[in-house]
Amino acid sequence: MIAPPRQIALEEWDREYERLRRAGMLQPIYGGPLGRHVEDGDTRLLKLRYDNSPAALRLWNFLLTEEDRLRAAREGGKKLVGAMKDLGTVPVMAYSLDNLVAFYPDGAWWIPCVMELNAGLLQIADSLGIDESFCPVRAMLGAFVTGAHFPVPDLLTCSVGATCDDFSAIAQRLNGLGHPILWWEIPHRRSPEGDEQAVTLPGGFSASPSQVEFVRSELERIRIALENLAGESLNEPALARGIEKANRVRRLLERLRRLAFTAPVCPMPALEMLVAEMLAIHFCSDQDETIAVLEDLLAEVSRRVEAGVGHLSSQAARIFWVNPVADLQVMNLLEDCGGRICGTEYLFAHALDPIPATVPPMEALARTALADPMVGSALDRAARIVRDIRRFGAEAVLVSRISGASHCALEGEIIADVVREDCDIPVLEIEVPSITDATSATLSTRLQALVETVKDRRDT
Amino acid sequence: MKEPTRTIVYICPYVPSEWIAAHGLRPRRMVPVPLDGAAVIPRVEGLCPYARAFINDVAANGEADGIVVTTVCDQMRRVFDLVVRRLDTPAFLLNVPSTWQTTAARRLYLDELKRLGRFLVRLGGREPGKDHLAQVMRDYDDAGEHVTGSSRTDGIPVVVLGGPLMQRDRVLFDIVEQSGGCIVLDATEMGQRGRRSAFDRRALAEDPLMELARAYFEIPDASRRPNSELYRWLKRELAQAGARGIIFHHYVWCDTWHAELGRLKEWTDLPVLQLDSDGQGDASIARSQNRIRAFLEMLQ
Repeated sequence: MIAPPRQIALEEWDREYERLRRAGMLQPIYGGPLGRHVEDGDTRLLKLRYDNSPAALRLWNFLLTEEDRLRAAREGGKKLVGAMKDLGTVPVMAYSLDNLVAFYPDGAWWIPCVMELNAGLLQIADSLGIDESFCPVRAMLGAFVTGAHFPVPDLLTCSVGATCDDFSAIAQRLNGLGHPILWWEIPHRRSPEGDEQAVTLPGGFSASPSQVEFVRSELERIRIALENLAGESLNEPALARGIEKANRVRRLLERLRRLAFTAPVCPMPALEMLVAEMLAIHFCSDQDETIAVLEDLLAEVSRRVEAGVGHLSSQAARIFWVNPVADLQVMNLLEDCGGRICGTEYLFAHALDPIPATVPPMEALARTALADPMVGSALDRAARIVRDIRRFGAEAVLVSRISGASHCALEGEIIADVVREDCDIPVLEIEVPSITDATSATLSTRLQALVETVKDRRDT
Repeated sequence: MKEPTRTIVYICPYVPSEWIAAHGLRPRRMVPVPLDGAAVIPRVEGLCPYARAFINDVAANGEADGIVVTTVCDQMRRVFDLVVRRLDTPAFLLNVPSTWQTTAARRLYLDELKRLGRFLVRLGGREPGKDHLAQVMRDYDDAGEHVTGSSRTDGIPVVVLGGPLMQRDRVLFDIVEQSGGCIVLDATEMGQRGRRSAFDRRALAEDPLMELARAYFEIPDASRRPNSELYRWLKRELAQAGARGIIFHHYVWCDTWHAELGRLKEWTDLPVLQLDSDGQGDASIARSQNRIRAFLEMLQ
């Protein structure tokens, strides 16, 4: 018998896990009770609430075992690529070669949350002069120093140019500590001018052909570095296969997001949907398993939508969420306050859009890199958010500021201006540090106010 | 020749004033003043006070016929969005590559200058001929635009290093002198560090725009990736300057310069004094004054 959808705490999940195991639940090699990750120090897990489906269990276990996979890959003779900042392009190239595994050291920004500051990474960053005025991604510095959260990669790449200053500065600090970095340039995306033709990018933005060509040439430098590391050619057929595989992930996520965000009753909670979306950027270090995990999740969501079951009531306020949260618990908090996610822009929308298959692979990847919402104007980003608000039927926008992030000081105001003008829906900005325990009452009040506003507007 | 009547305002050192002047327009490198009560951007947590002062100052004085902003700093890149949305003055965003070691990056900067040229023509400027541009560049060079120099006094020799400074923060230089120091190297963005090198006259004669791009693109800055050229420049200049200490200034929320402090301390044997400023009120200056005095006393 399939249990009705519920959000359950970790202890209950572990009991449920035993029940499912005895009932013959099949598990992947990384499977097991979620509680074991707490013993590794991931204490925040004790405070989260989880979807009770086996598909969600598999998703969480996949996420929380990435370090093991990276170490196993190295022991198995594979080379590790630490792609930094571009969020979705370099890993597609790396996974086109059999003996490379790519991941984002940037992901360390969640360690202070998941380990509730116990890992000491922020203190290490402090000692290196990167204090709390920087974005929580500074935890990455500490992770490199301790070597305890991921193996130091064999190759580090970092996109710079039209990126946030925090990350660029932190990566430079890392470079100054003796880690060689292959810097590649991503220029600020601009619209064509004069007689330039427009190149349409994934997600609907446009750029000039000269910018696409420039980024393609930058990615050629990455290609050469990957070939040298792998000791084999990263030729066009290999890249085309890699792109097709990445597009499988993206297509699965597209179906998953559409179903989850438009269903009358929310079929999958915000937290699991956030984790699922994150898989797109580097496949959690295993592309095939990512596909399997997402297929499982999509099947569960499809089943629930068909049955008309899910979480929350059908009256839940439909919220579009902008920016990822440093504290995962805030996604639970939204649901506690009566809201559900109906649309997201977590800064890596370009990792969700299909990579063009009708142009040569390197040009397709250049177009994808240029479609990054961060490399263009905030007005572009706002326009995309407006399109998705309409697509998913969101009733309000929540802009989640990242403490200390250079882009957050002004971007939220611009997005709010555009959304209010174009959609006439309420916009709320909140700031989410790595641990929100001290501010959760305030955050709740603000989220409740947003939900109430949405519901009041329905009545008028 | 007719005096230019239209003014192009900019703040970034990677915007070549000669290029604007060669188009028959008046380049004005602004040093912003923080304006109380200015409305384009209110005081916002996380916003660099320099970026805020820039847009508020531009909006308040109404003198600009065109505004040039660059991508050197993420916050200024975001400020450009607000300039476009909230001001009527035509504005241009110049893409300055962070990387500098590839031919493609240099080519991109050159192409961006050409694109800036087209913007200037749209504002009423004239596309300059090769000879005219070369003459303007020679005139600027002869006028010593690239040199600031500093006269030594008997005080304790120190270097001021950091990003840009607002007008009010130039008072730091007076405080240093009043406290018994002398600044032997101004390595802020408005000082020697933010100036291009002298033009190569032979290269200038052959292809002035290419030489202009070369001279400006080589300005060392913390924002370059890697920013090793900044340290190479500092090593050379510090050796010549004979400084006994470094005063390191940055605005709060300026990640690019703030992040360099730790590395600078590891890199240099000289004592380093950090001055962080929120760009607001006298309290910040009074605090800086106390710190500078203590630093100079220590160096005596």
